[in-house]
Amino acid sequence: MTLFQRIKKILLSICMFAAALFFILNPSDEAYMAVVSILSIGLAVTGIKDIVYYYTMAKHMVGGKIILIQGVIILDFAIVTGSLTNVPKIFILMYLIGIHAFSGVVEILRAMEAKRVVEGPWKMKFSHGVVNLVLAIACLIFIRQPNTALIIYSIGLMYSAAVRLFSAFEKTTFVVIRL
Amino acid sequence: MQMDFHYYATYCAAFIAGYSHEESLDIAYSAQFVDDCSRTLLAKIKGPSSAATTQMQLEMMDARTDPIGLQDITRIWASFHFLPRDLYAEKKKCSKRYLNKYRLICGPNGDLVVKTVELAKGKPLQSVGIAMHVLADTWAHANFAGTPSLVINNTNYVFYELFPDGDGYKEKQIKFVHKTSAPDDLDNSIYTNSLYQRNENTIMNLGHGRAGHLPDYSFARYRYLPAWGEYEDMIKENPADYMKAFTQMIYAMKYIRGEYDAFETETYDNEAVTPHLLRIKEILEKRQVIACDDWKTFGEELSGRKITDYSMDTYFEEYMKSSKADKDNTFLGRFIRGAIVHKGMVIDEIFRSGNILAGFSKQKIINEG
Repeated sequence: MTLFQRIKKILLSICMFAAALFFILNPSDEAYMAVVSILSIGLAVTGIKDIVYYYTMAKHMVGGKIILIQGVIILDFAIVTGSLTNVPKIFILMYLIGIHAFSGVVEILRAMEAKRVVEGPWKMKFSHGVVNLVLAIACLIFIRQPNTALIIYSIGLMYSAAVRLFSAFEKTTFVVIRL
Repeated sequence: MQMDFHYYATYCAAFIAGYSHEESLDIAYSAQFVDDCSRTLLAKIKGPSSAATTQMQLEMMDARTDPIGLQDITRIWASFHFLPRDLYAEKKKCSKRYLNKYRLICGPNGDLVVKTVELAKGKPLQSVGIAMHVLADTWAHANFAGTPSLVINNTNYVFYELFPDGDGYKEKQIKFVHKTSAPDDLDNSIYTNSLYQRNENTIMNLGHGRAGHLPDYSFARYRYLPAWGEYEDMIKENPADYMKAFTQMIYAMKYIRGEYDAFETETYDNEAVTPHLLRIKEILEKRQVIACDDWKTFGEELSGRKITDYSMDTYFEEYMKSSKADKDNTFLGRFIRGAIVHKGMVIDEIFRSGNILAGFSKQKIINEG
């Protein structure tokens, strides 16, 4: 990782922390709308990028269809997220439960697969999966609280920021095969 | 390929091709030095950074993967370690961006190998060594590209090691690990490879990183699915490929020495190795991480002279102590010159094919070559 990449990571994590703190301390409908919009736009950009990458590059790659499927699912999530701005918060919570539970199970399954086929960095993946599942369960437990969606999203944001910050300072783990 | 082939086997090939013991050692040193001549090393000896023929792990960790950074990586790896087989290869219904990467897939007997060998003719022994490194790697590194690319260089779980069994092969699934601290476990087919990363241009997806060191082992036979191969199995038989590399090097060096008028592809000097065939096959097929000792013993039997072990810094002092005007006439000065000219030629050919992944070179350098 270059110095510039490290600085970029640190700045982004600080911004994520600040946003999460702001949402937790000032829970309001406007903050809620902002979160949903950011989430929707972010997902849409990722989904479209994946789809474009599939059609321009990964179409010819063994196993490349998974990138298209991933792109379509993410774009679908983006559209659904964007359309949820005017519906009751209970639906948002159910949606958050679905997203976190789904990502959690997928991450844990991928970690297990990584452990079986390729020995290596499966622990991080596994812990991501567990955190996602915990967030899904938290959504279920606090489903009747008015600001649960915002708080759960903020906690997730803080977790991502912490992981990002940690990786920025971490000695780069790098497996380069001497060619 | 590793030092066993680039240094000791290259010495053997040069000696069989007719070079003297001393000349063969110079060629072998130059061939091996291609794997050591990084920017860090050049900075240490105060040489020009444009002559870099490889990148060290730390350099790669910090390598940029924006378009400029990618061009820099591609210049080094495509020129010296993954010489493209066909810069005008076609593939239907694909984007230009994909095609540019696809055309950088390395392989033997391409037009660029011919140009590489022709360029070394009439040049100092250092250039011959560089050309032999490049030629040998076209066999070992075939089917991977010297540019970071997920869609070209990725591999998946379909990766089996093949063991001769009667008329056919017995297969064993390879287990890949990401621990550079532990050596490859040849008995249990456990090898180290680079991490899977979904980013197209990450350095993890450069060359044969995703296949670990398997392409570098002369004994290895394996079946896998190259990312670009449209789901068709690829069987790689390294013992046979390494033998072709060895006999093609002999033929190439005989051409450089003037025994042949032209260097043609798909031509191997099998006759020259006939008296040593069983011995060479035995070395190539022996399951071991590095075959330096076996090649060294064979080389010493061939020439009847002691082969000095490779020592990277042999010529550092001579280069560093020379005045600016004399540097070009030192051993490393000639290597540096040969490396720049070769790199310029390859970059120019890639650029002429309409591919911008390696950028472009200064025409002056090529003409001077």
